[in-house]
Formats: sequence, structure tokens, C-alpha cells
Amino acid sequence: MNIIEVQSVSKVYGDRAAVSGFSLNVAQGERIALLGPSGCGKTTVLRLLAGLAVPDSGRILIDGAAVATEGRNLREPEERNLGMVFQDLALWPHLTVRGNLEFGLKARRVPAGERRHKVRKMLERVRMAPYLNAKPATLSGGQQQRVALARALVLEPRVLLMDEPLSSLDIELNVRLRREILKLQGALGFALLYVTHDREEAFDMGVRVIVMSGGRMAWAGSVEDARDYFATTSPTP
Amino acid sequence: MGRRIVLWIVVAVLAAVGLAPILIMLAKSVIVDGWLSLEFYSRLASSPRQWTLLGNSLILAALTTLLTAVVGLPLGVLLGKTDLPFRRGFATLFSIPLVLPAYVTAVSWFDLLGRDGLLARIAGAAAARETSNWLFGLPGCVLVLFSTFLPIVMLLTMVYLTTVSPRLEEAARLVGGWPRTLRGVTIPLILPGVLLAVLLVFLLTLGEFGVPSFLRYDVFPVESFIQFSAFYNFGAATAAAIPLALITLGVLVVERIFLREKTYQLRPAPQGVGRPSIELGPAGRWGFFAAVAVLCLVIVVAPLLVLVIQSTSPSVYLDALARAGDSLLRSVAFAALGATLLTVLGVLTGYLIHTRALSCWRVVDSLTIFLFALPSTVIGIGLVSLWNRPATNFIYATPLIIVLGYVAQYTGLTSRIMVSTLGQIPPSMEEAAQMAGGRWFRRFSLIIAPLAGRGVAAAWLVAYIFCLRDVGITMMVYPPGMETFPVRIFTLMANGRPSLIAAMCVILVAATVIPLTLLRFVFRPARPV
Amino acid sequence: MNKVMGPIVVVGVVATLVGLGCRRGGTAPSGEVVVYVSEDQVFSEPILNDFERETGVRVRAVYDTEEAKSTGAMNRLIAEKNNPQADVYWANEPIRAELLKQRGVSAPYVSPNAAGIPRAFKDPAGYWTGFSARARVLVVNRKLADKPDSILAYVDPRLKGRAVITNPLFGTTTSQVAALFAIWGDARGRDFMNRMKDNGVRVSTNNGESADFVASGACAFSLVDSDDVVNRVRQGRPIEMVYPDQKPGQVGCMIVPNAVMLIRGAPHPDNARQLIDYLLSRETERKLAFAACAQIPLHHGVSVPTEVLPVEKIKTMEVDYAAVARTMQDIQPFLKQWVGY
Repeated sequence: MNIIEVQSVSKVYGDRAAVSGFSLNVAQGERIALLGPSGCGKTTVLRLLAGLAVPDSGRILIDGAAVATEGRNLREPEERNLGMVFQDLALWPHLTVRGNLEFGLKARRVPAGERRHKVRKMLERVRMAPYLNAKPATLSGGQQQRVALARALVLEPRVLLMDEPLSSLDIELNVRLRREILKLQGALGFALLYVTHDREEAFDMGVRVIVMSGGRMAWAGSVEDARDYFATTSPTP
Repeated sequence: MGRRIVLWIVVAVLAAVGLAPILIMLAKSVIVDGWLSLEFYSRLASSPRQWTLLGNSLILAALTTLLTAVVGLPLGVLLGKTDLPFRRGFATLFSIPLVLPAYVTAVSWFDLLGRDGLLARIAGAAAARETSNWLFGLPGCVLVLFSTFLPIVMLLTMVYLTTVSPRLEEAARLVGGWPRTLRGVTIPLILPGVLLAVLLVFLLTLGEFGVPSFLRYDVFPVESFIQFSAFYNFGAATAAAIPLALITLGVLVVERIFLREKTYQLRPAPQGVGRPSIELGPAGRWGFFAAVAVLCLVIVVAPLLVLVIQSTSPSVYLDALARAGDSLLRSVAFAALGATLLTVLGVLTGYLIHTRALSCWRVVDSLTIFLFALPSTVIGIGLVSLWNRPATNFIYATPLIIVLGYVAQYTGLTSRIMVSTLGQIPPSMEEAAQMAGGRWFRRFSLIIAPLAGRGVAAAWLVAYIFCLRDVGITMMVYPPGMETFPVRIFTLMANGRPSLIAAMCVILVAATVIPLTLLRFVFRPARPV
Repeated sequence: MNKVMGPIVVVGVVATLVGLGCRRGGTAPSGEVVVYVSEDQVFSEPILNDFERETGVRVRAVYDTEEAKSTGAMNRLIAEKNNPQADVYWANEPIRAELLKQRGVSAPYVSPNAAGIPRAFKDPAGYWTGFSARARVLVVNRKLADKPDSILAYVDPRLKGRAVITNPLFGTTTSQVAALFAIWGDARGRDFMNRMKDNGVRVSTNNGESADFVASGACAFSLVDSDDVVNRVRQGRPIEMVYPDQKPGQVGCMIVPNAVMLIRGAPHPDNARQLIDYLLSRETERKLAFAACAQIPLHHGVSVPTEVLPVEKIKTMEVDYAAVARTMQDIQPFLKQWVGY
């Protein structure tokens, strides 16, 4: 069964259709890259899945149950148990790294001992354990990335949404972090929905690639087919 | 759904405390001799004199607002963002005229520049005659109200400067110097906050009556005042106050059209603990210091000195303290309680307006600003009419009624400060908390409120100052025997010794300066947001 | 909750406790009385403190400001009519008392101490009783050579532009103007006011301000209350007091007594009557005569300081306060237009 089903969803902002008739299924453990230039609607798709935006038409289902329908959310973002890494990371500057990770665990009333254990384990996975009590402002870009990732994953989501998380990093760091994300994905088994405008990044992170243009799905297929697609068609501006 | 419930409760509180008294007064304004009638309004509209008065009020408000903006914004930048010597001291000093009732400031200027004033003794009668003629009229009104309301623009500028991400300024400084950065990056980013301050000054000046009355400049609010004080006609008085409120709503509409965009911040700076402060250099430092010092001397120190000189001796201060009785402690207590309630309500109302969480957000925003602009007597009589019943004596016969009055009149202040503050917080902060499973109350109290900390502190301080200096509302509703210190100053002014009144004013200033020094904790250079 | 809201909430709680606990003195065994006072606080508060000390009845007061600064006591009394909070109203002139009687705010009470007050200075049914009066006098700058001795000085061309009058929409000046209209008739009253305006009169916001203008030399004379003058003379200002229109055929000097009344539905009626009796006593009148306000006792034979002329020695304007109150309401639209509103 698919974890997420998106059924012909549309979203209009003002007089502009950000997303138009978009459909998607995400299966357990799947890796999907959403590729396209700025303004093509890929971030909007992510926000619709997360519940941070409400579709104007269509339906979204998680585990077979509708969570959003035309004009309203049936389940709020905090009830969908999806992980998300934002483009600006959105690390809470007044909380330490530990505070950032514990927030969600406390919201779920995880007992203190278990919380400490989960936080420690996750920070070890992302190699940020020494920075438990550091504030985000004192960390480098790459370190902040890893904390944002850890914060999303410590809650053990079945799907992780990532919105162009590595776009501001240098190429070396970018590639290194991609490796780490993929390793984590392999170890923890979550489905990954990865938004990017960079083709190579998309080919690296996704097993399936969806190309978006003008709010619509322009093309979908495997990474191999995607290479052929881009070789034969003119590159999207 | 916890968010909706809490916010609807807030709306209900505002309706009960603010809207209900006004509806009662509006009802009185359309009932003449027991019948529904717009007679009060038509009389007002058909009087050419009223239109002249309205024009006068608008001119006074426009000039005062322009002057406070043109001076207050650079002053706020100098005191909040540079290495100017003694800047915290200046911030405290400039705030003093806001603490005193504006009428007292006007009297101080009269004692300084009037025919029989201090200037006459120093520079001779001819000079004093000139200054006296200048003082009585529009220029004098603008001077007094400028000095009184300048701190609003200055303080709010300083608060919002602390919310600008240093990275944005650093990026600009790489291609241009500080002047270009300020013009192109910093000031546009804090524009919503500055415009809020300008709006507040405009509304306060528009509704000001005491100072223009003393300085012989005829303004619109006088009609409402006369209907209360000479004719005891509550309906006509309310009708006379409505045009001011309508102008307010008009200004709000214009404001909404121009301020539609919000500004977002990017990631916080990876390294670095301080925020960039402008180094003025030795010439700049002392040049600006001299300019600010001169301004401070003219608009703050001079009238304050007049008060101190008039109070003559320590024995007068002892007498003043004795006369003050426990009204001073009461003032501080009521103002602190009022400020706390106003802050809590303002945070929630500001959140409602900023996130547009309920469909009635525009109505809530307009209502709170409308109440801020209404003359205090209208709100006061409305409160009496609503709450003075045997069943609600537990409110009306206690200081709670004063605090309710503060809440009715000043929620617009704290609410709008919070709207501007919340606008500086990237939405992704709350969204990330949502994605982590935090329900509304947890997100609000653990993420949003701390990030808005400086704004919350500033809202409390501004609310405290306004509650402490309030005379209009308090005078209408205070339980007998529980008058506040500013009210006592006003009542003792009638044939009280000038030296005694002066001493009491100095004490009032001192009583407010203490929390003002807390400003240093708000404006301490700190970690970037 | 967090570092900012926490302290704020704590401050709020402490403030609540302090504010609610702030009361003058302890609880009085004899109960309390609530009085709204329009007489200047500097003069009235000592009398009320004495009452509290002598009787043990705790006094809770609401004081008024000068007329043009705010709209306190009268509006509160009218607004609170259906659920009165006040027991007693101490008005500084009888016209307000009459207005409240007309609006049904006051209740009749004839105090035993009212017996010594002349009939002209009290309501026949006991709705208000006068005591400790001011005279409406001319305050004149000492430097003026030819000192005016009549209110007609306001229309004397020789004194053009030298006079100031308090805004006739407020306070005792309203009463005086209304009294003149009542005595002279509407036509002559309007003529007087219009000629006064043509004669360049300045308008101030209250009696104290008028007196200050005269003292500073900005103006030569003004019509004010006697306590405004005596107060400033004692402060050493260069002014003199003239009782106007004392000659035969002239209208006389208007006497404006304080007026005390019982509020209808008063929460503490027995204590209210006790306070009214106290205010109407000879001893209170003596104190107010010797205070800075130098008010004129209405009881005969009360000792007074030298600056205060006993009421028997003044040629007083013959005033029916009820008629003046009615006239005042009639002429208010004219006065509003006269002032320029």
C-alpha cells in the first residue's frame, strides 16, 4: 500500500496556479526527486503534503485515510507524522541542539530517559554528538544541516520531505551530505521526497524522478529514463 | 483546534471589554429624546466651524507626525545602532516627556517661555513676549506634542532595529557603506514598525485636547469635550467623537494597502555573537553627540529643569510625597497589572492579526485601533454605563474597572507592536514546530513567544508608560479613594502651590524612569535572531 | 513559560496583590462615606480628613479637576445615577447642584445645621444647602492706575483689549453670566456679551489662569472667584481684589456658595447625613475662612481673617439659583457660539 496518495491536487495563489492537477503515490521506503526550476510548484507540493497549505481541489491520503480535501485540512500538520527539512532549516535559535531535537519528543510525551537516548543516538548518526549543548548560531552551515536532519528524523517519520536543503552549501559539502542522507535512508527505511532544481542532485537522491513545470507534472520515470529524457529534450529553463 | 478556541476567547474578551461600552455610547448618540435620530450627527456635519476645527486637528497631527518621524527615526538609529557615547542615558531622557501628562509639559513651556517666565528673567520682557506669542498657537502645540510623542518613534525604531538579521546588513556593507546599507536594507526592513509608530503619533495628536486648549489652538476634540463638560450630553459628545474614529479607520485602510508585503529573514549568521554597530569615528561621534545633546537639552532638560527649579526645596518634595499618599504605589501597581494584561492580550491579538487565523482578523485590528483613537471620556462613560450594576459591583467598585479601562483603550498599542514583531519571525519557525508534532499552545509558548521576546518586553514597557500616565480613563472610573498619582496631580493643580505640583511631577518622572532603565536589557547587543 | 513572559506574569500578579491591598488606613469601625467633591482638593481634603479623624467614619473621595481639563465628578454622578456609588456631593457652586436636582440625582435632606444658613443660599426643599461662599470679584493688576469697580469695565472702551474672562461655558463664570441674563433679561445680556467681545476680551480656560494672566501683567483685570485672588495675594503676586458693583443702583457682587447634597440611593445614608451636618457646621466654615481659599461663611458671626469681608458687609447680587440654572441651560447655545465653537 502507498503511504501517501495525492489525487489530482491543485493550489491557486491569487490568479496564479501554483500546482495544477498533480497526482503522486509514495510507497514505503521509496526515494522520489521532485525536479524543476524556481516557481514550478515543487515546494508547494511539499507544503500541501505537509499540511502547511490547503489544496483548492483534489485529495491527499496518508495510509489510506484522507488528510486533506478541497478547501480544508482534515488532519493538521502536527498530526500527520511527516518529517520535514525546510529550505532555511528553521532551527530554533533560542534552543540548543538538544532543545531542538527534544521539542517533538516532548510533544509526544516521550519519557525523559528515552528522550535523552533517542537524541544521543540520532546525533551520533549525524556525527553531531559533541554539539549537544551548542546553539545553532555557533554552528557552520553543514553542521546546521545535519542538526535539521536529525531533528526531523529523531521522530522516526515514515516519510521525510526535504525542500532544497543543500542549495546553499559548497559542492564538496553538498555531495558529502547527500551521501549521509542516503546512508540514513538506507538504515532507517523512511520514504524520501526530495525537492531540488539541480539535475545531478535529483539523479543522486531519487530512484524515481518527477519533473515539474508550470505547476504540472511534465514527466515522470526512473533516473535512467530521466537522463535520456534530458538528453533528447531541450533543457528546462 | 486549541488555537481557535483560545483566539475566540480573546475576541470575546475584546468584545466585552472594548466593544460593548462603545456600542452603548453609540446607541446614546443616535437616540434624541427617546427617538432614533441622527440629529447630533447632522448638526455636527452642517456646522462650518466643525470642519475648520477638523482641519486644524489634521494640520496639527500631520505636522507633529512629520516632525517626530523625521527626527525620531535617525535618533532611534543613533541610539540603537551606533557607538554614540551615553546613548542609553539619552534614550531614558528622551522618554521622560512621554511619561508626563502632555498638559504638564505645556505648562512647563509656559513657565519657561511665557511673558512672566524664566526667559523673561534672563533675556528680558521683549524676548519673552516674542516667545510667548509663538508658544500660544500652532507652533507651541507642535513643540509640546513633538517632545511628548518623539519617544514613541524613537523607542519603536530601536526595538525593531534589534530584529534585523545582521547577515542582511553585512551583505549590503560589502558593496556599500553604512549610509547605503541603512537606506537600502535596514530601514526598509523595519518600515512596518516605524510606520506603526507614526500611526500611533498621528492618532494621539488627533485626539489631543488638553494641550491645544491651554495653548489656544482650537481643535476638533473640543466639541466632544464641551458636550461632556458643559452640557452633560453623552449622546452629542459621542457623536462628536465619531469623526475622529472614522478618520482612524481611513488611515488604517491606507496603511493596509501600503504595507501588504511582509519581510522574511534568512538563516541566522553562522558565526558571530554581536550585531554590527555603526562606528561613527571620532569626528562623527562627537558631532552627533553634540547634536543629540542639544536636542535633548532643548526639548527635555529645559522644561524638566523648570519643574525642578519651581519645586524649590527638599521640604516641598516631602510635602509632595505626603500628598501623594499611597496613590503613587497604586499607580505603579495598576500600571504594572494593566501592562501585563495588555501584553498577554496584545500577544494573542497580534498573533491573530498577523496569522489571520480567524476570519474576523480585520475587524479585531480595526476595533483595537478605533478604541485607541476614541477620547477616553467616551470609553469611560461607556464603561460606567456597562459595569455600574449591583451584579457587577465586584468589578466596578474595585481597581479592576481601571484596568479594564486600560485594556479597552490601549490594546491596539500592544497588539500592533506584536504584529510588527511577529512579522520579523520567519513562518518556517512555527511550521517546523508543527511538523515536529507540537500542538498550538506548545508552539506558541515554546517557539513563538521566546522568539518574539524583545517585542513582548517592549510592548510591556510601552503599555506600562501609557497606563501610568493615563488620566482620561482613570478619572472617569476610579473607585473613590483609589485615585492614581497623575489624577492626584491634576486635581491638586486647582489652586495647588506651583512648587508642590512641580515636585509631584518630578516624582512621577522618577517613578517611571526605573522600569525605563529595564530598556537596557531589551537593547543590549545580543545574539542575532 | 519562558524568560520574558514569566517575569511579566509575576509582576502582574504582585501588582494585583499590591493594588488591591492599597487602602488608606485600616477598616473603620464606624463604616465609611463616599463623597464626590468639586471644591478644589487642596481646600476640601483637609476638612474631610478632619471629619474622618473626629468621627471615625472613613472618607473615600473622588475629586474634580479645574473645569477645562476634564469632565470628572458631574459626569460620573449622572452616569452612575441608576446604581449610585456616591453618598454625598460637595459642589463648588449651586448651579451644578440644581442641575443634579433636575436630573433626579439628589435626594432632599434638611440638616439641623442648615437653620443658620440664609434662605437665599439653600434649596427650599432641602435638595442642596449652601455654605462657605466665594465672591465673584475683580482681580486687578496693582500697576493699573484707574482700577475698575464694576463688571461693566468689560465694555469700557478705555480698557479695550486689557481684560480676560474665563470661558463662560464652564464653572462659576457660567453661573455669573447666567445670573446677569436672569437679572437683566436676554436682550441686555446678549448685548453685554457681544460688546465685551468687541472690546477685545481674552478668553482663558479657568479662573486660576485668568488670575495668572492678570498677575503677570498680560491683562489688567478679570472676573474670578475670591479664593483664586486671596491664594495668589498670599503668594506675593502683584494683584488686588475688588468687590464689584457695590454702589447704589448697581447689581451687586455675586456670591457663590459651596453646595452639599445627599445623593438619591446613597449606599451609606446615615454616614452621609453625618458628613453633611459636619460640612454645614460653623466650625467648618471657620476653617475654610482661615484656609488659603479664604471663603466667606454664611452663618452669621463666624470669625474670619482680615482679608475676608463677612457676607453682611457685601452688597450681594440677588440671585434665585433655580432660575439661574434654568437660564443657564437656555443661554448655553448662545455662549457656545460666543466662545467660537
